[in-house]
Amino acid sequence: MARPCAVVGIGQTKYRRQLEVTLDGLVREAALQALEDADMTFADIDAVVIGKAPDALEAVMMPELSLADALGAVGKPIHRVHTAGSVGASTAITGVTMIESGRYDRVLVVCYEKQSEGNATWALSGGRSGGQGAGGTFAPWIRSYISRSGAPEYIGWMVAVKDRQNALKNPYAHLRIEDISIDKVKESPMLWEPLHFLESCPSSDGAAAIVLGSEEVARRCPQQPAWVIAHAKRTEFSSFPGRDTVKPRAGVDCSAALYAKAGITNPLEQIDCAELYVPFSWYEPMWLEGHDITPEGEGWKLTESGETELRGRFPVNPSGGVLSSNPIGASGLIRCLEAANQVRGTAGEYQVDGARVALGHAYGGAAQYFAMWLVSSELQPTF
Amino acid sequence: MTLEFPYTRTTGPVVGPFLTALRDGKILGGRCGDRVLCPPLEYEPETGAALEPDFVEVGPGGVVRSWTWVAEPTPKHPFDSPFAFALIQLDGADTPFVHAVDAGSIDAMSTGMRVAAQFREEREGAITDVYFVPEASATAQEVTPGDEPVRITTHLVALTISEPLYPHRVRFAEGLLKGRIIGQRSPVSGKVYVPSSGYDNLSRAEMTEADDVEVADRGSVSSFTVITPIQYYGQKETEPYIRASILLDGADSPIIGVDVRNIPVDEFRVGLRLQAIWKPPGDRDVSELGNRFGGAWEGVLERWEPTGEPDADPRPLQEFAF
Amino acid sequence: MSTTPRDVAIVATSQTPSYRLFNDSEPKLIMRCVNDILERTGLDRSELQFTIAGSCDYLSGMPFAFVSNIDGVGAWPPVYESHVEMDAAWALNEAWLRLQLGDIDVALVIGSGKSSPGRPREVFPLQTDPYVMAPLGLDPVSLAGIQARALLDAGIATERDFAEVVSRSRRDAQSNPNAQVAKDVPVDELLDQPYFSAPLRKHDLPPISDGAAAVVLAVGDRAREISERPAWIRGIDHRIESHHPGLRDLTTSTSTAQAAAGAGVSAGPVDVAELMVNYSPEEIVLRRALGLDDATRVNPSGGPLAGHPVMATGLVRILEAANRISAGEAQRAVAHASSGPCLQQNLVCVLEGEG
Repeated sequence: MARPCAVVGIGQTKYRRQLEVTLDGLVREAALQALEDADMTFADIDAVVIGKAPDALEAVMMPELSLADALGAVGKPIHRVHTAGSVGASTAITGVTMIESGRYDRVLVVCYEKQSEGNATWALSGGRSGGQGAGGTFAPWIRSYISRSGAPEYIGWMVAVKDRQNALKNPYAHLRIEDISIDKVKESPMLWEPLHFLESCPSSDGAAAIVLGSEEVARRCPQQPAWVIAHAKRTEFSSFPGRDTVKPRAGVDCSAALYAKAGITNPLEQIDCAELYVPFSWYEPMWLEGHDITPEGEGWKLTESGETELRGRFPVNPSGGVLSSNPIGASGLIRCLEAANQVRGTAGEYQVDGARVALGHAYGGAAQYFAMWLVSSELQPTF
Repeated sequence: MTLEFPYTRTTGPVVGPFLTALRDGKILGGRCGDRVLCPPLEYEPETGAALEPDFVEVGPGGVVRSWTWVAEPTPKHPFDSPFAFALIQLDGADTPFVHAVDAGSIDAMSTGMRVAAQFREEREGAITDVYFVPEASATAQEVTPGDEPVRITTHLVALTISEPLYPHRVRFAEGLLKGRIIGQRSPVSGKVYVPSSGYDNLSRAEMTEADDVEVADRGSVSSFTVITPIQYYGQKETEPYIRASILLDGADSPIIGVDVRNIPVDEFRVGLRLQAIWKPPGDRDVSELGNRFGGAWEGVLERWEPTGEPDADPRPLQEFAF
Repeated sequence: MSTTPRDVAIVATSQTPSYRLFNDSEPKLIMRCVNDILERTGLDRSELQFTIAGSCDYLSGMPFAFVSNIDGVGAWPPVYESHVEMDAAWALNEAWLRLQLGDIDVALVIGSGKSSPGRPREVFPLQTDPYVMAPLGLDPVSLAGIQARALLDAGIATERDFAEVVSRSRRDAQSNPNAQVAKDVPVDELLDQPYFSAPLRKHDLPPISDGAAAVVLAVGDRAREISERPAWIRGIDHRIESHHPGLRDLTTSTSTAQAAAGAGVSAGPVDVAELMVNYSPEEIVLRRALGLDDATRVNPSGGPLAGHPVMATGLVRILEAANRISAGEAQRAVAHASSGPCLQQNLVCVLEGEG
């Protein structure tokens, strides 16, 4: 039987370019902050899990080996997850599994990327010239969504503005564009039609960490626990005849499994806010539909109505999201921990009032890997 | 192919001074409790507890605690001819670290021998600025210190990958040289894949030469984007261009990563019918074709030309976008 | 641990031969293992409720190489799966943990790797400290050489001991149809060979290999439905040591001893031990760390010296040990996997036959 598991500590570095630290220093900063938040030291931790995206981003292969000492893991189990862009959330889920299994009581999860050491576009292009990057892959699918749904062209711009405005309230966020506006977004250079520069995520450095604890541990920690009430992952092939790249079935199946586990029947009403992995603006409406939060063709209408704003009915990315900070290996974990921040009431200026149940989400690869979790301020919330 | 990039690593408050000292002809250790660790660490190694930087100069001489003789150095090693990697404990340090000893011959190496640091003429603030020799053969050096602390250290990482073309890729390449596009038809589903991966992933069925099938060299654009090139190491593109997926007639999977530079963007659309215009047989070149990354079309085709036919229906083409 | 663990067993295994060069894609290697397992067990793909793979992108030089590997496993309709950039022995560990949650009963673990396209001695330095080790091109062969010398200097082993490990392993490999290097070479002939990374000779090193392996885990009665003689996992644990070789005693393997204690190795006799002996001196270190005596048969498969499909090698040790149990040749076995320079990280698994 799965034992209850809660987030009992959260730590992050700022996501701007990190030029004063080594990789060790980067991960330690987030880890030590999460430990302090949980009123623990490295000595209290039973096991460590690292998550990060391709090793070619920093040219450090299997970094759990060279970071073991820095993370107080000597003498302990250390594990490393890699599921492309979704890795941060997959790693969080692996950590949860370790607690739910009953094998470990306190697990430290650390995800990071230090993209300034290399070049993300180079790595994503397999080191070859002419790489299209992630944006070049998703742009045609976004164009399909727009044509299928009849969404007006300004929806993407609205998301870009909203997330960067939220980011101004988040001291860790990378992009801080005080004068962000619809005009500024639509006048920024086109990168991959229809995506403008300001509709795309930055290339960031940063580390994020959480401490997960069993119920007994959580009851003794200083912070309000963020109980992990459900988690799910689904994967499909990147390519096969007839694949729906706009609303991948793996995404639909993943959220269906997640909601079923939590007892959620109406996500839009029963979930208070969502941290969705939106690296390119249009993925907000696409994931609202892709995870059955709105009916098909209606995602953009929720965005347009303003209900996904911080003070709206269904805030999406109150932290500023991936559009504001994207250290690839960490971004999925950041979505998960920001959901936890919301239900613990520790989201500061971007706190959604009364958030009781929050969604953390990540996707990766050719929109084929999905990892999601739901956290709540209650161990067994009813709906 | 070579996967190559010049990584730049920021060095922080401990590695930075250590590498700065190397550049300046000195070696530093760091105090940790009652020990001196070399190289210095940002943290206590057994516990991960934070350590305040507290440097002490160590060496330049020290003792070999263990070693190995590298008979066939790789291109990444500090020396071209045989040398030793050794665990070296410098005078004043309590812990050894691994570095290279240019001893001339295996007979000059032994556990317990003394070695001394030598600094290279060209130094950049990297671990490779120093190397070791048997102490008796060390020469006195005048090392001019640099001006700025070393905040960034660079490492050109280059890996050579080389593998033969897989059999189905060989046949694909041979087809291209003959002006034919060869895909494979799944024995289970009948779907045609081009270029084939050699298997049908939906049914986990391997495909063989018996499954080879030719598809037309004309088809419909199933998706595209206009790429504005981002400059990165090794990037050769500078001007925007179209990257498209084309569903060739007879295929059930599109060819992807097709770069189109001869058709204006406002004339390009999903459903557009295109015909491949081949290079003359003598000019066709498949040398860029590897086992991954699609078809290397630019080696065998001049360009893609609109056929002038009415557009194909764009809606079903969405399912063949990728 | 605060709850009684669910009993998990290995109920089916498959591996490809270890090839010097497999002239086709890694997904194909995986596909062969998966199809083989499904055929032999009669299971449907959908009955493998959780899949987890271990592989390493850097071996093939391609970021995201692991993504195409799911072609070999099957991911349509969508599946619940994950991936570790580690030897698949660690993927198996995660599968074991996942099965404890109670909601699923069957998991598939895959390990795969092709070392042939790259130059492992140039790739693996990237596994070391990026500031003070990797720029030296510090490769695992050199590090193993340093560890070997430490063993000689401490009087714990001789070069003859190393050669005996090689001779015995490659001779035993002759009865392993999947082995890549299998031959009967006497110890004295081995000792006549020149050094490569003194005191190591070329034969003290693993071959360069391409290959894949797969294992199905199942819980309790479900395991008994699938296999007539499941190999039960009685204990599994893994630990890591300091990354810096200068901070460790290279003549011992503390983390192996810790993992062995956690897995309960000494709770009974060990009939067979499959150890990830990539370099012959490691067998001496590992036997001591695991407390194995001469009654234990070590690496009847030949071990990694006979075939080293990197990222599957550790899983293959568990697979080979499980096969011995399922065949009735052993009642209790230990399997070991390692990662990192000079046995930095170690996983130990204890397997038993039923009653």
